[in-house]
Amino acid sequence: MRWGMVIDLRRCVGCQTCTIACKQEHGLPAGTFWRYVADCEAGEYPDVRRVFLPMQCMHCAEPPCVPVCPTGASRQREDGIVWVAYDACVGCGYCAMACPYRARHLVREADSYFAAPTPPERASAHPERRGVMTKCTFCKERIDQGRARGLRPGVDPEATPICAVACIAGAIVFGDLDDPASPAASLVAQGDAAPLLPECGTAPSVYYRTR
Amino acid sequence: MTGPGPAVQKIPVYCYQCVAGPDLLKVLVRDGVAVGVEPNEDVAAVHPACGKVCVRAYGLIHKLYNPARVTTPMRRTNPRKGRHEDPGWVPVSWDEALDILTSRLRSIRGRGLVDEAGYPRLAATFGSGGIAPAYLGTFAAFLAAWGPVDQGIGSGQGVKCYHSEHLYGEFWHRAFTVAADVPRSELVLSFGYNGDASGGVTGVFRHAEARARGLRWVQLEPHLSVTGAGAEEWVPIRPKTDAAVLLAMLHVVLVEHDWRDVCDVPFLERMTSAPYLVAPGGHYLRDPGTGKPLVWDLDRERPVPFDDPACRRPALDGSHLAAGVEIGADGTRRTVAERARPAFAHLVDHVRPYTPEWAGGIADVPAATIRRLAREYLHHARVGTTIEIDGATYPHRPVAIVLGKTVTNGWGGYECCWARTVLAALVGALEVPGGILGTTVRLNRPAQNRLDSVRPGADGFMEQPVNPTGKDTWAGAPHVRNAYRTLVPLADNSPWSPALGPAHLPWLFLEHPPDHWPAPTLPDVWIIYRTNPAISNWDTERIERQLERFPFVAAFAYTQDETNWYADLLLPEATDLESLQLYRIGGTKYIEQFWRHTGWALRQPVLPPGSGPADTRDLTDVATELAARVGILDEYVAALNKGSGTTVPLRGEGYDLALAPGSRPSAEAIWDRVCRAATRSLSGGAVERDLSWFRRHGAFFVPFETGRYYLHAAMAAKGLRYELPYQERILRMGEELGARLHERGITWWDVQLDEYQPLPGWKDFPAIWQATASARGRRPEEFPFWLLTSRSMQYSWGSNVSLPILADVARHVTGHFGVVLNRGAARRLAIGDGDPVEIESPTGRTRGRAILREGVRPDVVVILQQFGHWATPYARDLGMPSLNQVATMDLALTDATGSGADLVPVAVRRG
Repeated sequence: MRWGMVIDLRRCVGCQTCTIACKQEHGLPAGTFWRYVADCEAGEYPDVRRVFLPMQCMHCAEPPCVPVCPTGASRQREDGIVWVAYDACVGCGYCAMACPYRARHLVREADSYFAAPTPPERASAHPERRGVMTKCTFCKERIDQGRARGLRPGVDPEATPICAVACIAGAIVFGDLDDPASPAASLVAQGDAAPLLPECGTAPSVYYRTR
Repeated sequence: MTGPGPAVQKIPVYCYQCVAGPDLLKVLVRDGVAVGVEPNEDVAAVHPACGKVCVRAYGLIHKLYNPARVTTPMRRTNPRKGRHEDPGWVPVSWDEALDILTSRLRSIRGRGLVDEAGYPRLAATFGSGGIAPAYLGTFAAFLAAWGPVDQGIGSGQGVKCYHSEHLYGEFWHRAFTVAADVPRSELVLSFGYNGDASGGVTGVFRHAEARARGLRWVQLEPHLSVTGAGAEEWVPIRPKTDAAVLLAMLHVVLVEHDWRDVCDVPFLERMTSAPYLVAPGGHYLRDPGTGKPLVWDLDRERPVPFDDPACRRPALDGSHLAAGVEIGADGTRRTVAERARPAFAHLVDHVRPYTPEWAGGIADVPAATIRRLAREYLHHARVGTTIEIDGATYPHRPVAIVLGKTVTNGWGGYECCWARTVLAALVGALEVPGGILGTTVRLNRPAQNRLDSVRPGADGFMEQPVNPTGKDTWAGAPHVRNAYRTLVPLADNSPWSPALGPAHLPWLFLEHPPDHWPAPTLPDVWIIYRTNPAISNWDTERIERQLERFPFVAAFAYTQDETNWYADLLLPEATDLESLQLYRIGGTKYIEQFWRHTGWALRQPVLPPGSGPADTRDLTDVATELAARVGILDEYVAALNKGSGTTVPLRGEGYDLALAPGSRPSAEAIWDRVCRAATRSLSGGAVERDLSWFRRHGAFFVPFETGRYYLHAAMAAKGLRYELPYQERILRMGEELGARLHERGITWWDVQLDEYQPLPGWKDFPAIWQATASARGRRPEEFPFWLLTSRSMQYSWGSNVSLPILADVARHVTGHFGVVLNRGAARRLAIGDGDPVEIESPTGRTRGRAILREGVRPDVVVILQQFGHWATPYARDLGMPSLNQVATMDLALTDATGSGADLVPVAVRRG
């Protein structure tokens, strides 16, 4: 089993609904994004293309962030999810330097959006993340708790990463890349989707569809 | 939101922070604290976008707990009003606040509801056109009970909407807004339509699905918008020249092709005014006895009434010797016996000069591109083909042209809307699958069913309510300050009409009263809610100068803002998640709401009573309390019973849930009855759901047939024609309106009268704006750039500029918080990315940071949304420039519908 994601760039409109849903789901402080949609341009006027490119941890099969971690806090699960054991992380930033996708974020302070934390910010605070590296987890808690309830990630919303649940354009397909029957694996197998920066040799689990 | 901890309660509500809603969501409440929102998966199978909600809905939790909120009623203690005058707010109790407001209202009732000039002494302004009703509770019933209220003091209506499309669209095909039937279309030509930013989740989802299946979308606009990003092709057209390209497309279709080969001739013959003979004075040639328009019968070689069943081949071209009468303005009759040509022949002649080469020079679009797009349009129209939908057969015309803001309003709006709709009519792509469709009606009735609003009117067309222009019927004395009944026949006189008139005129006339016009007065009391005209209007300095003079302003306030800074009383607003309301959902509605269900959805408080962060009151309770204190409770209850504001009467066939006269019901009691009446009404009496049911389930639906998207069946069944391409009625309106105004000595509306053309043509629209420089002693060459705006999904209509989290995520979308400039143009001006820039117009200056892009014309700069705040918490620290600070409010920039456009000639420099 290897969890993965196919993002259809033809559908994405850069609305940032996934961005804000991720922040809410994980209680991320102001200025920290585990995912966002980059607004890119290619070409010169008047031959220009504008492309919205969702960016996040690619949950690489060969994650360069894992071996460089001096404390072993940066880890990879059997199902391919790359994650950080906060209690083992010292916030040295080696993993951030190693990641070609700039998908790791050091949370120095748990910044509130206002002068003082609001009740929902207090309710969703994560003091264990202060001073350590953080990143997209593929919403592993949703996956694990959902599967424990017999739900199917990628099919049942409560077991699916929140970005895919929230996406208003149906641009994000989540599933098991090792299961040929899953829509995500099928799209990859058809050659309709490609990873970002394949030359880095990281074998990402996030693919992008452009045609 | 997963993980251990107290159980999460999920409370269904709706979000209507943009006109493309409502959308359904659930609010997650843990331990008495609202901690998040999620799509309402219960309605995934019913909702056109699988139940999703957009980025704004996720901001609602922050909106609820924003510490910058106004949390208690406050009264002003500083009698002087000005930007630099601290209002001196002092907290007061709700009881005291309502006493203050009530005493003002009672005073009005004692003096008379209308002042010496004939204007209502009470005025009320609600923002964002289509949004406020979803948050008004029963306040509309209070206003209905009150009597005359001026709801026409604008907060940007007319200049920030699709104004010409609203009025002409509803006139031609019951299309308050026009949408492409995207799921069944093959080609969409979008002139600045930015539906991926402003079309809500339903719009975004439809477009995404269509792109994935191969829809070809071409975006013609001066800068590459969010929607343009998804297009196959971007055509960077010069601002305000869209009409030239559309006229040239008509030329290609009608002059460069044999129209008999490419047009839907049966549609033109039977469902439009194309065959109607036009008399020498420009009006239809009519049968002397019946007054019916005549057509030329090619078989019998004589004129016959348009509805003669024996006429099988009405002429669309040629010149025919025919006798009849021409009925002009004010019923003047003239006998005619000379050669007359069908309206269609006039159309062909009309577009003959508009070659692609001519348009190319104006619009900076290659003639070959215009020609190619017109040919693609014809190719994809598939004239003659049909499609099966739910067992019924319809014409299938999978081509659509959609128009965006600044194209559909202000000068040129009429011409663009007309040319677009005629292009649809030529190939029969009007109100059929794949073509262009109306979404809803706001002037016609019944408001909830546009198909039922199709009723036979004069000359074979639909009946259309308009403000009369006859000698004995014209409303020469304005009854509200924007005078929509007096100046804009097409605006009609529906509850929506005040917002569809020239809503900026009150601000203009207060400072510069026109000749031969009732002296403009200020309302004794102005109530404002979910609106900030000092930001959202043009010429914001002028707005503030007037605000200083308003004698009493009561503002329902979320935070301190630029308008309520001038208020006398602040009443803390119960936000989206703090009040109760049932609202219609589904069916068809703007912007691209096309459902297969229709029903009702509930918005409800998500926190236990008394546990919220502010001392708010439900607006329904405020309305009831005010009605009681003012002494109009019985009238208020009667208005509720009639369905005023709620849109459903409490007494209907098979049910009687009416409130008793003299009763003083709570918000819960009112909405419980509305819930029951709404479900009874919708289900034909079969089902009744009360408030407690809605609190649990959130929404109630019944099926809505896809066939109801299309006006085609209703038009065909009633034998009606679209009033296209020839605009005889528009011509007559203009002639009569001109006569009425001139009889009063009014000449300041003469330029607007020029718009009433039966076949609108090109005028140098950009020059109208460029002339603002000359009028102020400046040279147009000093202002070589066009400043435009564009909508942001994160901010449009959301009343959410005080939320840092929205800014946090919006920063990822280029254009926010700066001025978008073409990289090459910036280089020539020695402006680098992030440099401070000054934007100067003939009337003002604004400053921001440069954002350099390739996807913008070199002669265009773009500022997203409407900022420039100086009082609103957080937003005031963004240092954002605003088009509204440099746009002038000017009668010369006001078109015949009372609309303007966000377009300013400017100079750009570093500094």
